[in-house]
Amino acid sequence: MSTGRGTKPGSDAGGEPISGTAPISGAAPTPGAAPAPSAGTAPGAGAGVAAGPGVRSRRRTVPADRRAPGRSPRRPLARLLGVGQPPPEGGSTTAHDLAVRHRLLLTLSALLTLSLFLSYQGVHGDANPLRTSSAPAVLSLDTAQYALGQAQKAANSAAPTSDFQRQISVAVESLSAAAADDVGGTGGRQTLQTIAGLITVYAVKVQQSQLQPDGSALREAYLSYATSVLTEEHSGIQARLTALQRQQRHAVQQQTSFGPMMWLVWVVTLLLGLALAAALLETQLFLRRRFRRRFNRQLLGALVLLAGGVVTAVLFTVWTQQGMTDTRVLLDRSLTGRRIPEAGQDTASYLAHTGFRAAAAVWILIGGILLMTLAETGLRRHIADYRFRPR
Amino acid sequence: MSACPGGPVTAAPGPPSRSSRRLVRTVTVVASCLAVLAAAVVIGVRALGQEPTVTLLANWTADDESHFRKAVIEPFERKYHIHVDYQGSNAESQVLGADVEAGTPPDVVVLTGPGELAEYARQKHLVPLEGLVRGADFGTSWATPLADGHVYWFPLKADVKSIVWYPADVGEEQRRQAVEQPARWCVGMGSGATSGWPGTDWIEDILLQQSGPRVYEEWARGDLPWRSPQVRKAWTTWRDLVGADGDPGLVRRALKTPYGEASRPVAASPRGCTLEHQASFIRSKPPWKRVDGRYEPSARLLFGAPANQAWEVSGDLVALLHSTPQAERLIRYLASADAQRAWSVAESGFSVHTGAQPAPGSISPWQRSLAAVLLDKGAVHCFDASDAMPPSVRDAFAEATIEFLADSRHLDALLRSLDTLSDTPGLTWVPSVCDPRP
Repeated sequence: MSTGRGTKPGSDAGGEPISGTAPISGAAPTPGAAPAPSAGTAPGAGAGVAAGPGVRSRRRTVPADRRAPGRSPRRPLARLLGVGQPPPEGGSTTAHDLAVRHRLLLTLSALLTLSLFLSYQGVHGDANPLRTSSAPAVLSLDTAQYALGQAQKAANSAAPTSDFQRQISVAVESLSAAAADDVGGTGGRQTLQTIAGLITVYAVKVQQSQLQPDGSALREAYLSYATSVLTEEHSGIQARLTALQRQQRHAVQQQTSFGPMMWLVWVVTLLLGLALAAALLETQLFLRRRFRRRFNRQLLGALVLLAGGVVTAVLFTVWTQQGMTDTRVLLDRSLTGRRIPEAGQDTASYLAHTGFRAAAAVWILIGGILLMTLAETGLRRHIADYRFRPR
Repeated sequence: MSACPGGPVTAAPGPPSRSSRRLVRTVTVVASCLAVLAAAVVIGVRALGQEPTVTLLANWTADDESHFRKAVIEPFERKYHIHVDYQGSNAESQVLGADVEAGTPPDVVVLTGPGELAEYARQKHLVPLEGLVRGADFGTSWATPLADGHVYWFPLKADVKSIVWYPADVGEEQRRQAVEQPARWCVGMGSGATSGWPGTDWIEDILLQQSGPRVYEEWARGDLPWRSPQVRKAWTTWRDLVGADGDPGLVRRALKTPYGEASRPVAASPRGCTLEHQASFIRSKPPWKRVDGRYEPSARLLFGAPANQAWEVSGDLVALLHSTPQAERLIRYLASADAQRAWSVAESGFSVHTGAQPAPGSISPWQRSLAAVLLDKGAVHCFDASDAMPPSVRDAFAEATIEFLADSRHLDALLRSLDTLSDTPGLTWVPSVCDPRP
């Protein structure tokens, strides 16, 4: 919007009144001769400075009412953002203000992008391992523990039964599944191999006992050896499995907890989001005042993108976190019998779509880049209008 | 603001190409920084807290494992900032076999059996230790070079096995009488996957004391048949001592009792048993501590003869399966005098490291005399024969002692089976298990 009417195009918008010190500042650019930049707004137009090609040769004069009576002190925000000194006494502050906002928007966008990415990853980064590895591993260990208990019952029966072999097979397969889920890393793998070896020994000792006549000393002896392999304190199969279960449940708790650090990161992220939204709005108003533009489309787009992105990220996070919490509650105690497959189904439903939501993390980075691009393009032309160079 | 203060200036927008180039440059730089920073933070957070790890497999469990962790592992972890992932199991052989077959062996293993280690060395699963351990610290009897000239193991701890423990308040006459009464012996054959090994120790020591080191070594090398008169006599002597064909209740108790609990009755009131034929490590168990256990050489107590200077000994042997800088560091540490001393003191065992002998005043008389036995250059030390045998023969031997104790009438069949197994081609026998005779 052209401001030149020879009056105070900026002052009515709360901006800097123009000086009217001809030829440019107060003069309305002749339509066609001096196309006003920024949709007809000369830089400094309010400042009334025509910056189009047609006015390059014109002597620029800064409006008087933009001149401070003394040298403006450099404001803290500008100092923080590394913006140069404000103009000397009487100089226009528009370019300086633009530079401050430009850098502020880019800095906030970068910080928010990084913060949102990290806080999002902090929650969703654990969702995939929980869904594909940790939760199934807990259930596998529960299955193995339960099967071994059933096997011991079968081993104590007077005559050999096929149930013993079946339960041993279930236990071994469950351990293989747990190993495939990478329970406890290297140490966990070693423990699982040890347990698998012990299960073999246990099965052999039970079979040896079952080959002896009922009531014989050898039968009792072999069964006692088998029982000690299974139940020995600290080093028996069950003790090792219990320790591994405890370790795995602890891993699940760590993956699903939303601790103080996570709260802090998310609060910081949301504050950064609010700050960026406020900065975008303020810049929008600033541009409206200074350049008489109702809207800056790029900045408006950035605001919409910001709001949509943050809301989506928060919603995704709430849904995923809720699923993870439900999973933790479900797996927090040892399960037996039919409860184990049921828990598997429940877990799958709780953690459904978490993979898709976790994969959305990359869109935070893309969105951040887009946000910065919008902020950059939204302000760039105004800044370019204010690029001065010596003649 | 970039306006030049003073001097005529021209308000002019920058050339569009320059402006767009700058825009592209700015966005590219910021995007790259963001991506790199985000990736670095994520990777950094995940990598944080991971420290180098070395895996160690041994047979110590329960209290032994706890002592080992405190005396040896924790100081190592503190000193070198390397995490030791320890696995202890009495099914160590089975576990190690499965690990090796799966291609994921532990980095370091502590085994009691040189026979098993020799088999792994033959299959090229072990790493030679010459560059990591000084052979002179242990002597060739303990760090024995194999046929290929390499040393693959060294002892972390040693024990004497040719001894019989008794409470301090039991006099010599009482001991002589107790020897003849099977009910006075504390016997426990249980040991989970390795049940039966206490029986093998009995027969080995009886053979050594009755027939001497030469016969013992021939047998341990697979050159003397199980059905030879000397070996058969050792079995029947054991049968008579522990009453294998006597009181069924006694036999049942011996078969079912874990070896670690066999000495419990010695501290009970009234005393349930008086003598235990067991290695020196058993002295650290609470019952023997309570009754102030003393030992007598088995040669003297069992056969009324002066010790013939032949002692059955055993050792926990350290070998390297997977060479990493951390594993090599652990090997060097375990071979050091400090680690050897710390572990042997904690476990009532003994180190054969020449530089790890405790000060005379710091140990009890029985420890001092047993340490002297192990280092006595005039004595013949014979390694536990079953530990030196191929694993399949060792396991069958342990099984046979259980079956023999349950029913001694099956001796012929058991010895025949053992002969058949020992004659199996392809087994790896250790060439020597005894010190050269002085």
